[in-house]
Amino acid sequence: MNAFDKLLRQLNLTPAGVLGLAVLAVLPFIPPFNQEYLIRWLIAAALIAAGAIAFDFTAGFINIVNFGFYAILGLGGYTSAILSVNVGLTPWIGVFIGAAAAGVLGFLTGLLTLRLRGIFAAVMAWFVGLALMGLATKMVWLTRGPLGLRTPRLFDTASNIPYYYLILLLMLVTYIICSRVVASKVGIAFKAIGQNMDAAKTSGINPTYYRIINFTLSCTLAGLLGGFYAHYYGILTPDIMHTSKTVEVLAVAYIGGRGSLWGGAAIAFPFILAMELVRSGLSNLPGLNLILYGLLLILVMIYYPGGFAKFFDAYIRHPKNRALNYFLNGASVRT
Amino acid sequence: MLLEVNNLNAGYGFLQILWDVSIEIDVGEFVCIVGPNGAGKSTTMKTIAGLITPSSGQILFKGEPIHGIGGHRVTRKGIAFVSEEMNLFTNMSVQENLLMGAYILDDKSLIQRRMNEIYDIFPRLGERKSQLAGTMSGGERKMLAIGRGLMSDPALLMVDEPSFGLAPQLTASVFDALETLVQGGLTILLVEQNVTKTLSVTHRGYVLENGRIGLAGKSADLACDPHVRKVFLGV
Amino acid sequence: MSDRFIRWCRSAAGVTILLSILLAVIATIDRGPYILVNTAITGGMLALVAVGLALLLGVMNVASFVHGEYFMIGTLVAYYVFTPLQNFLNTNPSPLLAMVAPLIAILAAAVAGAAAGALTEIMVFAPMRRRSRENWVMNSFLLTVGLAVLLINGHLLIFGADFKGIVRYWAGAPVTIMDVFISRDRLFAFLLSIIVILAFWVFMKTTRTGRAIRAVSQDETGSLMVGINLSAILIFTMALGCSLAAVAGASLLFLYPSYPTVGLEALYMAWFIVILVGLGNIIGALTGGFMVALLKVLTVEYIGSGWDFVVPTALIILVLIFKPSGIFGSEVRGVLDQ
Repeated sequence: MNAFDKLLRQLNLTPAGVLGLAVLAVLPFIPPFNQEYLIRWLIAAALIAAGAIAFDFTAGFINIVNFGFYAILGLGGYTSAILSVNVGLTPWIGVFIGAAAAGVLGFLTGLLTLRLRGIFAAVMAWFVGLALMGLATKMVWLTRGPLGLRTPRLFDTASNIPYYYLILLLMLVTYIICSRVVASKVGIAFKAIGQNMDAAKTSGINPTYYRIINFTLSCTLAGLLGGFYAHYYGILTPDIMHTSKTVEVLAVAYIGGRGSLWGGAAIAFPFILAMELVRSGLSNLPGLNLILYGLLLILVMIYYPGGFAKFFDAYIRHPKNRALNYFLNGASVRT
Repeated sequence: MLLEVNNLNAGYGFLQILWDVSIEIDVGEFVCIVGPNGAGKSTTMKTIAGLITPSSGQILFKGEPIHGIGGHRVTRKGIAFVSEEMNLFTNMSVQENLLMGAYILDDKSLIQRRMNEIYDIFPRLGERKSQLAGTMSGGERKMLAIGRGLMSDPALLMVDEPSFGLAPQLTASVFDALETLVQGGLTILLVEQNVTKTLSVTHRGYVLENGRIGLAGKSADLACDPHVRKVFLGV
Repeated sequence: MSDRFIRWCRSAAGVTILLSILLAVIATIDRGPYILVNTAITGGMLALVAVGLALLLGVMNVASFVHGEYFMIGTLVAYYVFTPLQNFLNTNPSPLLAMVAPLIAILAAAVAGAAAGALTEIMVFAPMRRRSRENWVMNSFLLTVGLAVLLINGHLLIFGADFKGIVRYWAGAPVTIMDVFISRDRLFAFLLSIIVILAFWVFMKTTRTGRAIRAVSQDETGSLMVGINLSAILIFTMALGCSLAAVAGASLLFLYPSYPTVGLEALYMAWFIVILVGLGNIIGALTGGFMVALLKVLTVEYIGSGWDFVVPTALIILVLIFKPSGIFGSEVRGVLDQ
């Protein structure tokens, strides 16, 4: 195994993944993607992709749907925004404090709900999210409520390109952190809990403990993304915490394939771009893009609950051709 | 023949459990299936009851094919199944459970008559009409499960492991009740762990091993069979 | 009898119910009887939505995120049935038709809700159940999320985002009860909710089909064994639950005009109730409707509108710390993993 393969293995990437990232990296210079509005779409897609990875980290592994995902993401954003507006703290530090705040809330929510059955925990996380959104709306003195909080931006430029690279980097970091944890001993416990609770318990795994670890990490990452959101768009309204935002990430994560981490990220780009095209191209038909969203989620749930990643694993992942196999899977490990 | 099972193959998903199982039961017979744990006795019954769809083979009841028609239709044809887990409605009273047993009957007076008969067979149930099924003891629940099965006025009653988890005294009373029912003209198919007792009360028996019928014959003969004695009785 | 009563008073259910009554009385003395009136109206209708949700949980094991959309369908159908009738009445006054027009609208909504529910089961849940029961609770939940997105935006696409409301169902002076003016619509909504709840109760307790629904919720295999046609019962349950939500939506059209996301609040509230009283507990959901309505009314009255998500959530979290299976206990097994 050469150094390149070793590095890839360390990062849980395949040559195909690297190629995908490289394409994304040069995309803003290739027409038609070099137009600012398309770069904005790409940024939105990358944000959803990163969110889908962090979301799938809980949904796909410990089988708990964090229905308050965007509320917690919004908490990270608001924390950072308020710190920079009221205290004058630079957003570059603020986003990490925001992430920490989101992590703490995730930890507390987990402490409360994660001993409950999966669906119960999902609904409780949703309530916490609703309460957070209610707070953000009503604490007008702090958040300016629905009027929106103006936030300083991360880069002093009107161009979108630096933001694009930053969010790509964030997406990659999110992926690497999540996939390394999943590949570790802790990750095995996650999978055991998600797949067979009873078996996990009899083999001495304390489900609540691992679930809380998982949930806290996922929420921390969400908070970090929230910081990006706040300081990219430059304005923050309680709408960021709305359930429909969570539904968007959820749909991408599940259509992409639960338990794969990369599936949601991979389909996020074509998916979000297509959705934006439908939305802007057929603006006389409002809601059509979301109807497609809903329909696709329903179809995937009924006919292919494993999503794109499962399809990929079953039909594309293992070609006979050795070069292609290397491209899709990376160098094999000798045991 | 009341029930004819021909070359039945069945299982769960890809896991095949039954291999070419054939069973015949005539009206008024008391037939048992015996076999070691995991031989497929319960699977046979669940397949006949329509809870499992067989992959191939035939199940004829009164000459009509009943495989693959769905559990609720099998009940309507006249087969009552008392499962090992009993599947009682735990938040309903004894009386309500019995009423549910008569779900497929429309005749109110017939339902009342059946219920009185069951209270005669199992007086304990009559004493506890309004108790919730979930709060009763194991033996009482077993009686209730059999009672519920009888409520539908079946032509064939299938009972899975009636003695499982019961004290010997209660086991004896459950067997007595089954014998009384057979004397009253009911056809019963019984699956039991308690081989000695089972072979002493039933007319005929099938020995199921690894999902295949190994031996079949009169219960008295099976009880003397060297192979049966070796495998089940340890002599 | 008194012994049992004292024991009940000391149980979690008893304590909460008594405390709620006490709170309601204090608030009524403090602010006036309209607190009680508002609680009764919203409570009755919330109970209808929550009972449907509890039914789906208990019988079908579906944690529905789409239930509010049947409420929305109810408002929509009532609006499109009632408005033409009213326009017709404006040119051709007829006291009789004016009397029954609201009833026609609500009945139409009930039928439409039932049809929508039955269709959902036939077209969505049944195919999914046939394919795989693996991870059913989570998958069906996500399915309902997709369905909710579909229906909300379907409304947006076809009927637009504007408010489609009515001023009132019944013309005429408000009714006076104990020196409080209550509009006829509100009074009727309350009476209707009580009638529907009672009818539902009698249906579940005494009829064959009602018993079969309860049987399915308690043991699915057992219900097959006694000859219950499971798929028919599932379709019927779904139709019943959705019809209740649609009736609630239609009856409250004078308060909540129809628009794409009108069902979301009903959904939140119904989930509050169901979690608070215990998943799948149908009887509890009836009581819970009034308790959560009281909580909502009190929050709006004393703290201000907009806080009605924050305060109930905080309270529910508190309750669940001490009683994870809800105050009345859950009928769905395995609320806790441990």
